[in-house]
Amino acid sequence: MNERFSKFNTGLLADRKITQLMIFTALTFIFFSYVSKDIFFTSSNFVSMAYQIPEIAILSIALMLSMLTGGIDLSIVSISNAAALVASWVMTTKMGESENLSNKWIIIACVLGTIVGLLAGAVNSILVARLNVTPILATLATMTLFNGIAIGMTNGESVSGLPEQFMRVGNGTFFGIPTPFVLMILIAIAVGFLVNRTTLGLKVFLVGTNRKAAQYSVMGDRKVIAWVYLISGLLSSLAGLIIASRTSAASPDFGSSYILLAIVIVVLGGVNPNGGFGTVTGVILATAVLQMVSSGFNALRFSQFFYLAAQGGVLIFVMILNVVLENRRTNKSIAKSLRS
Amino acid sequence: MNIKKLLLRNETALIIAIILLSLVIGIKSPEFFTLANLFDIFRSSFVQLIFALGVLIVIISGGIDISFPAVGIFAGYTAVVLMQRFEWNPENLLLPIALAIIIGTILGAINSIAIATFGIPTLIATLGTSGIFRGIMLTFIGSSFISDIPIALDNFATADLLKIQPEEGTLARLHILIIPVAILTILVSLLLTRTMFGRSVYALGGGVEATRRLGISVKRTQAKIYMLVGGLSGLAGILYVSLQRKANPYDLTGSELDIIAAVVLGGASIMGGYGTVFGTVLGVLLISLIKGNLILLGVSGSWQRAAVGALLLIGITVQALNESKKAKNRRVSTSDEAGE
Repeated sequence: MNERFSKFNTGLLADRKITQLMIFTALTFIFFSYVSKDIFFTSSNFVSMAYQIPEIAILSIALMLSMLTGGIDLSIVSISNAAALVASWVMTTKMGESENLSNKWIIIACVLGTIVGLLAGAVNSILVARLNVTPILATLATMTLFNGIAIGMTNGESVSGLPEQFMRVGNGTFFGIPTPFVLMILIAIAVGFLVNRTTLGLKVFLVGTNRKAAQYSVMGDRKVIAWVYLISGLLSSLAGLIIASRTSAASPDFGSSYILLAIVIVVLGGVNPNGGFGTVTGVILATAVLQMVSSGFNALRFSQFFYLAAQGGVLIFVMILNVVLENRRTNKSIAKSLRS
Repeated sequence: MNIKKLLLRNETALIIAIILLSLVIGIKSPEFFTLANLFDIFRSSFVQLIFALGVLIVIISGGIDISFPAVGIFAGYTAVVLMQRFEWNPENLLLPIALAIIIGTILGAINSIAIATFGIPTLIATLGTSGIFRGIMLTFIGSSFISDIPIALDNFATADLLKIQPEEGTLARLHILIIPVAILTILVSLLLTRTMFGRSVYALGGGVEATRRLGISVKRTQAKIYMLVGGLSGLAGILYVSLQRKANPYDLTGSELDIIAAVVLGGASIMGGYGTVFGTVLGVLLISLIKGNLILLGVSGSWQRAAVGALLLIGITVQALNESKKAKNRRVSTSDEAGE
């Protein structure tokens, strides 16, 4: 127990995982740059990657938060689509026939979108924290429900033709850096601060490490879990707004494969699915790896289905690797204690 | 069993829900109460029920499997592709069904390796394998729609047990599949309640550690469960292909939610250790009823998914409330699930 906490404080384990991941990222980069010099290793490819990474990175960060407590939030993609749809609906109805919309209404639309995210997160919170429903099942149900409501309201069609100013957020640059990328960095810093520097963050890790111990120490484990799903909903809605702004459309079935991708990223990023361990940096690095694999596969003209198989393969491989390494570590420490 | 207990049972609630819903739909549109419609509901439930039986076994054991639609369509589609490639076109159904079951079992064995051998959390493992299966099928086996399926499968789609022509209205056809599916359902029920394997599935759901101390091999039981589910999914997949009279590799995506919803509504506890075949049959019927007849209620078909989500949400909320009531009665403030 003592050892575990010293690890927490010094962040030794964190550093090792991050170092491994950085090496892995670099290797992926070198590999694809080598095999596809003329398509992958071009500035336009990097720019387009910088526009694609943020949305999935933010969704993965949202997923990481629930996984840190030992739960899972499967409804993130549904929430992000619902938020994007509400915001887009407000904008397009307000805009009517005209081409432009005042900034005030764009802000109102975005705020409404995030409120949708918060409400959806609150539903998850009630189910998981208050009613004690298993997170997998609770969020599976809300995922179906939110997605279903979105399909029902829109008849399954997408809302497109969003105002120019709104699209500028998703497609513009901020001091030369793509705006979504800047937003992602800001969100990552905010969540990193929340997780590492606040009481709530510490409690999140404690609940994830040992829920029962957290319960007995009367630190309000339910409240912690409620907050986590609420924040997860908020982050998902932000990702949805960014997606809408980049693609200039919102649709109820956008990114149906994103949930697998987000889980792959989170697990590759070193987050323990049983809770208690994970870093924002790891998640961001893992997103970069997966995006490079995706772009690289595109450049090599592999089919998108091959990428799907690769995602599944990476997920299983990383999980097996974690188990094998964990076993070896335990065996080593047992052998060590036997010797002494 | 006294009456009060009987009334409180999940199955009773489901029967009441099905009757009430039928009455409401029937009052709104009298064409609901025709034999043709009843047989249609049956026909759309066969494949769902076979999938659901597999999912039931997994859920009782405390796990979750979301790879079964991928396994099912992989097995069904690959069987058809193999038969075309080698120009096997026998008159009877034995070959395609055997092929599909074998393929399904092999895919299930891959799940078994990930889950039983390496101890990967079931949701993550099956999410990963489902990506792998789908990706491999679409990349290497085929991604095109096959409409000239083997003659035996094609003929089977219209093999009716009995045809009843009412005085007016459409011809009511009861598909012959009702007999094998009924036998299969009874077999699974016997397997779960009367065999050592079935009881160890329940024991596993009740508690992993307790099962181990009973002297039951947890790994072997898990391996058997996922292989069995694979086989059942393969069977369901080939029957789906037969009933649809076409093999479309993109089919069945997203159907996992309906089936998990049906099993959970049927009273199976996602925490494991509880669930009945009868409840699952009722759950499948309820979902089919809602999905097929929403339009008769005057609700647009695009609300199907929301209806399933809402039902699932109600189901798990009721389950959770019952659970907390029980916990209160036991006067135990903390639950044991957290310690797993």
